Amino acid sequence: MPSASLVFQSIVLGVLLGGLYALLAAGLTLYFGVMRVVMIAHSAFLILAAYLAWYAHRETGVDPLLTLLVTVPLFFVAGVAMQRLLLTRLRPATLTMMSVLLTFSVALVIEGLLGYAFSGTQRRIRLNYSSASLEFFGARVAVVKLIAFGLAAAALLGLYLLMRHSRFGQALRATIQHREAAALVGIDTDRIAGYGFGLGLATAAVGGTALSLDSTIYPSLHWHWIGPLMAIIVVGGLGSVPGAAIAAMALGLTQSLLQLELSTTWAQTVFYVALFATLAVRPQGFFGGRLAQRF
Amino acid sequence: MSTTQRLSWRVAALASATALTAAGCGSGGGSEDSPDDPITIGVSLPLTGDFSEPGKGVQRGYKAWAKIINDNGGLLGRKVELKILDDQSNADRVVSDYEQLIGRDQVDLVFGPFSTRLVVPSARVAEEYGLLFVEPAGAAPEVFDQGFKNLFYAAPAVANDHYNHLAEYILALPEAERPKSVAYAAMDDPFAQGTAYGLKDKLEKGGIKTIVDEVYPPNTTDFGSIAAQIASSKADMVVGGSQYQDGVNLIVALQQLNYQPKMAAFSTAPTEPEFAKAIGNKTEGILAPTGYTQHADYPSNKEFVEKYTEQFGKAPEEDEANAYTTGQVVAAAVEAAKCASQDEECQQKLVKWLRGNEVETVVGPLKWDDKGRPQSAHMIQQWVDGEIQIVLPEEQKEADLVHPKPKW
Repeated sequence: MPSASLVFQSIVLGVLLGGLYALLAAGLTLYFGVMRVVMIAHSAFLILAAYLAWYAHRETGVDPLLTLLVTVPLFFVAGVAMQRLLLTRLRPATLTMMSVLLTFSVALVIEGLLGYAFSGTQRRIRLNYSSASLEFFGARVAVVKLIAFGLAAAALLGLYLLMRHSRFGQALRATIQHREAAALVGIDTDRIAGYGFGLGLATAAVGGTALSLDSTIYPSLHWHWIGPLMAIIVVGGLGSVPGAAIAAMALGLTQSLLQLELSTTWAQTVFYVALFATLAVRPQGFFGGRLAQRF
Repeated sequence: MSTTQRLSWRVAALASATALTAAGCGSGGGSEDSPDDPITIGVSLPLTGDFSEPGKGVQRGYKAWAKIINDNGGLLGRKVELKILDDQSNADRVVSDYEQLIGRDQVDLVFGPFSTRLVVPSARVAEEYGLLFVEPAGAAPEVFDQGFKNLFYAAPAVANDHYNHLAEYILALPEAERPKSVAYAAMDDPFAQGTAYGLKDKLEKGGIKTIVDEVYPPNTTDFGSIAAQIASSKADMVVGGSQYQDGVNLIVALQQLNYQPKMAAFSTAPTEPEFAKAIGNKTEGILAPTGYTQHADYPSNKEFVEKYTEQFGKAPEEDEANAYTTGQVVAAAVEAAKCASQDEECQQKLVKWLRGNEVETVVGPLKWDDKGRPQSAHMIQQWVDGEIQIVLPEEQKEADLVHPKPKW
């Protein structure tokens, strides 16, 4: 029987992990919501952002968080370009299927380029606060994990406010709900879809930077991430950002607590168990609202 | 089935398919016949894929060996020539590579690849053709359980014996100073797990309790939970059966939880040149087994370090040294048997000679038991004052073992 302090420590770790998962999955569910695009390359972009943060830190010594000033706009533009130049060329009838092939190849290209530029060596950002931690009711909270969690919270809150309270957000939600109707009331849905994609990729810049603070990175790391992230967005309800966030938090916590009684290998399968349970019981996802039911 | 349902199923299927394809894909490799004059040696190495970093290290070690031996007039007066293929860290490719090298290219001798997972299938091919198979990187117990008759591991000790000197040291400590409880965490990998469990068996026999015993898969990215269990157990000692990345991640996660053990030992990671940087120099007191040091004063090591550094611009590490050792072992057998060709009689002479003799190498004198297991032990290194130094055994030590370990 694990002690109370260990359970509490695991809950703290689970919440921090869940926050990071939520951030990493947010972009994926957004692409799917706006365009029904399954974006296999999302995790490759996460690793790319992590590499840019690591590289900037190694070359100039700047804090990796500062790279966000460059990577967020850069990824936004790359996202818009990717949607306008590549994804719009796919036929709407087969978009979901073909987008997988297209983004799969994008992921391979990114992985190959990272390997070419930085070699396969595993890298870790060296920060003087890497192993620093704070005491929190008897549990230890690592500073880097706290920063990553803060980044996730800020990015997701920003995304939520943008979606809820801006004209662009309204237009994006309208495009998600009914593309033709949105076009009829005068929304330039093509442009909005491009921005939606850019927004998703911008979250990858934030997520990758958060990831780089406390992970060892290597070019093929993204394959380890895409499975759990896909599971999160299916459990959360495809296309629902809050759904993905809740599912991420729930799965992160479950994983962390299961670890106490089961081995690491079994704790990691929680994603796939949840995935198949969702598909069997409630295929539209557990937390998806009306948005998800549209599809 | 609703549209949502169908789409969800598709996403799920794709996610699993992606995870499966991630394992790797193949491409062709070419070859040309070489003249009979030089002694050709066939090798397949993981130059791309999961093991590409150590694979390239082994390649450098083999190249250094070939250059040094050629500069010294060759083997039996003939030049040696390496024929290296890339198996992409793939066990199927490594088999067809050795089939090609032995069957079609008719190489005179073969050297082994890197990693237990590739050594076992390729050793089987060499065994089938009756060739001597000296390998630089198959330290896990299962390499020696297959009944291979031609296999020799060119390093001081198999995985289970890596921590032997440390186990002896701990069990010889006075009762009051001896750690009473140990937490083990090992990667689900024959080599990494072998190192940790070799120590575990010996300490348990000596009456030291195991209070955490975690095994994690090679693709584990988050070590927070494992670290939390170790920290919460307050074990006197932590032992990591690790490769590079996981060792670093686990140590950082333990430091984040402010766990301060009296002893900490991790395999592989602490001996890598990048290690101190990767964990922000909080290395004080970390122990690690190692089979090689550039400072060892074995006769051939000085020449190796000097000429290797000349050739590659930096000093050799363990992977390079193990490859070089492989070359030395085969060369010794060839010189003694006075032959280097695929024919059965010659290969049997080589095997027989190695079975009964000791070879001087850059990792010290080596001899083997009837399963190909080397009969020495690894040295134990420790980070002392920001440098990794040999602390065990007595005869080779550069510094005294610091115990209990300072805070990290």
